[in-house]
Amino acid sequence: MVNNQRISVKVVICLLLNQNFQLMEKIRKPKKVFVQGPISPQFVGDSIASHQSKTGIGAHAIFLGQIRADQKESGIVTGIEYSAYEEMAEDAFHTIRESAFEKFELTCMHIYHSLGIVPTGEISLFVFVSSPHRRAAFEASEYIVEEIKANVPIFGKELIGAEGFVWKENK
Amino acid sequence: MYYGMLAELTGQASEAWLMNENLTVGKLRTQIWDKYPAMREKKFKIAVNKHISEDSLSIPEQAEIALLPPFAGG
Repeated sequence: MVNNQRISVKVVICLLLNQNFQLMEKIRKPKKVFVQGPISPQFVGDSIASHQSKTGIGAHAIFLGQIRADQKESGIVTGIEYSAYEEMAEDAFHTIRESAFEKFELTCMHIYHSLGIVPTGEISLFVFVSSPHRRAAFEASEYIVEEIKANVPIFGKELIGAEGFVWKENK
Repeated sequence: MYYGMLAELTGQASEAWLMNENLTVGKLRTQIWDKYPAMREKKFKIAVNKHISEDSLSIPEQAEIALLPPFAGG
């Protein structure tokens, strides 16, 4: 009788440990999102290449945000200078990452966003999702980009001429 | 802490705010408007300890408060 009880206690502990272990596995560490200046096409290419060994992937979806030369009242935009409330932004990116993994069947996900000046024509946002199948990849990339635009405290000055600027606002 | 255009408007990136008892986000917003009247015309959200907060929230002591202009990521 006494022995049985002891054994059952041990089993419970093992189950708890196992649960904890699974929880720990599920919690992904926050990844570095911000990069200084533009994101180079070379970096995008290298990111694709680094996934060739992951043969469970059947579909990548990539979204690239590029700086547009908008015409403003005071002139043409030459670039955007980004700043952010970085600590809160990193938390927001982490939340977006977790919810995207929950909603879609994803193998992996990478998000990079520029800080500092990004000239027109260059890349300021790189979202890269990979999945066994196309549908999850398409849908996740759209979801992630929309979430970033709405919920991450990033601010942008649209630079005009030598000294002018207009603060950007997402629609 | 002030971000984006709000840092330019207040002329600083951060300042300490002396708080009275039971300061809520809504009351803080009014105090900010009183100190910086130009802020009335600006859209901003208030984050308390890195969470966007409703006007009814009581601000805890030593809280980190950030005034955030419209987001422009992407």
